[in-house]
Amino acid sequence: MAEEKNSNPMLPYLGKLVEVKDIATEIKLFRVEMLNGGGEAFSAYKPGQFAFVSAFGVGEAPFGIANTPHDGENVLDFAINRLGSVTTELHELGVGDMVGVRGPMGNGFPMEKFKGKNLVVIGGGIGGAPLRPVIQTVMHNRADYGFFQILWAARNPSLLVFTDEYDQWRDTPDTELHLTVDQADSSWTHGVGLITQLLERVAPAPRNTITITCGPPIMIHFVNRVLMDKLGFNPEQNYVTLEARMHCGIGKCGRCNLGSKLVCVDGPVFNMAEVGALLESFL
Amino acid sequence: MNYLTRQEVAAWLDHLAQEQTLIAPLDIAGNILYRPVSETREVVWDFVRSFMSVKEVFFPPTEQLMLIEKTGLQVKLTETLPEEKSIIFGVRPCDARGLLTMDALFIDNQPVDPYYARRRENTTLIGLACQTMGASCFCTNVGGAPDDPTGMDIMLTASDGGYVAEIITEKGEKISKKFPVFDGLSEIRPHPTSARKRDLKIATKEVWPGKFNNDFWAEMAERCLSCRICAYVCPSCRCFDVRDETLPGGNGQNQSERIRCWDSCNGIPYRRVAGGHNPRFMKNQRLRNRFYCKFYYFPIHYGPVSCTGCGRCIDACPVNVDITEVLGFVGRR
Repeated sequence: MAEEKNSNPMLPYLGKLVEVKDIATEIKLFRVEMLNGGGEAFSAYKPGQFAFVSAFGVGEAPFGIANTPHDGENVLDFAINRLGSVTTELHELGVGDMVGVRGPMGNGFPMEKFKGKNLVVIGGGIGGAPLRPVIQTVMHNRADYGFFQILWAARNPSLLVFTDEYDQWRDTPDTELHLTVDQADSSWTHGVGLITQLLERVAPAPRNTITITCGPPIMIHFVNRVLMDKLGFNPEQNYVTLEARMHCGIGKCGRCNLGSKLVCVDGPVFNMAEVGALLESFL
Repeated sequence: MNYLTRQEVAAWLDHLAQEQTLIAPLDIAGNILYRPVSETREVVWDFVRSFMSVKEVFFPPTEQLMLIEKTGLQVKLTETLPEEKSIIFGVRPCDARGLLTMDALFIDNQPVDPYYARRRENTTLIGLACQTMGASCFCTNVGGAPDDPTGMDIMLTASDGGYVAEIITEKGEKISKKFPVFDGLSEIRPHPTSARKRDLKIATKEVWPGKFNNDFWAEMAERCLSCRICAYVCPSCRCFDVRDETLPGGNGQNQSERIRCWDSCNGIPYRRVAGGHNPRFMKNQRLRNRFYCKFYYFPIHYGPVSCTGCGRCIDACPVNVDITEVLGFVGRR
């Protein structure tokens, strides 16, 4: 097959699974090597963009891309929680199996705009997946960004994602990693409590700071309440990436609208000032 | 002026049907539906409005997007773009307008949807002006008219027991050459006289946001069954689902197809994500979304209002949710 871009936006590129590993309970990290022109399509994706991954024979679903082109233009990482029919089928696959990938889609985080600013990344559970490329971008371009705080949470320790990368994150200059779980187990040595409590304790200063949150809608809501009501952030300083059910990713199927915004093409990254002005709540 | 008797129109269509698929209104168990016909003997000429719109020719209830063949670890994808050339006879002005609405989404809004675009390209529309407006028709309130030729390739209007033909596009001209009666462009287009006007003012886009949090939606939704028939009969509703279905395979091959099928924002699981969260879990939220899509969101994203005033949803709704009642509410100060 020729190395060319698909003219049919519904047709996925083929990719081969080159690495599959368990990273948390029911969560696997898949590394896909793109074949047949897919590498070129994905040569310059941005942190926060997403792609549809096909489990052939079942269907496709959108996932945030969990790495950056720094890993090579032919490889994409997806951290996938086994929940529905597509993700269950994906979890059955192993190294050497083929998947389909359509994308990259969505707006992504404005990492250029964030340069020179302090960053606070707030991730809950599998919501950490689209934040990993943000963390990697800061690590690879450390001088471009100010003080960096990562607040990482999950319902219990077994659901924390990217645990084997924590040491690397901590070793990055001017970087802090704060962990919390709702429910601890006997081996847990970090904080216990909701991420909002951790956020109040860490209390990042709003001056010249941007926050980026991803997690369940209820967490996004309360994290932003704490940021604005207790810590003095303006809505404009807070970015979120929203999840929505989708079937096209290109602004056609009508599935993902939040009021007049389409999460697939207007998002998935939104500024809280924008989200606050939406006709419809994401909750 | 091109004037044809019904017999001449029938002979012309029969001639066309030998070269291309002819799709025309048929009476199927008491419902008028557009279906392929082999000869015009079966065609229904006098009807108010079909039960389903011509949308289903261009955006079928279920269509195959690609074939997926797995052999060992190898996967082969074959896109299955539609090839068939067809002519639709008896298209109503509301449905042609519905297609222009769908064009704004599937063709004008990048990237182009190749499946829909291919069918539009390969299909010629022969319009048939409405002689009467049905009890639930309100096309004149949303900018249409029972004799509006917009979007047609050829427009036929009943007159003196026969039809006046207006050739509108090159595509129309091409099929008109297949029959000697068409030898010049028509200049006179008679207007149906029975068009009924309804006193209904359609609110502009700007009015809608202020009505979003009104109790009206919950009251209206109390009787809604979330059955989705309104979206399926609508000539301009376009929500869809995409999934794979297994095909019977052979020779150790594992075959499946990726299909696209109609869906509706009124359905309960429409917006539900795998984790269970559903931002429109209440039916008033879903019912409201459908009307906001038609008159507020769709115009913002794609331009036109996504309603052609065909009134099918009014007739099809089992619990009398009436779009003109909704428009009346939004239009009231």
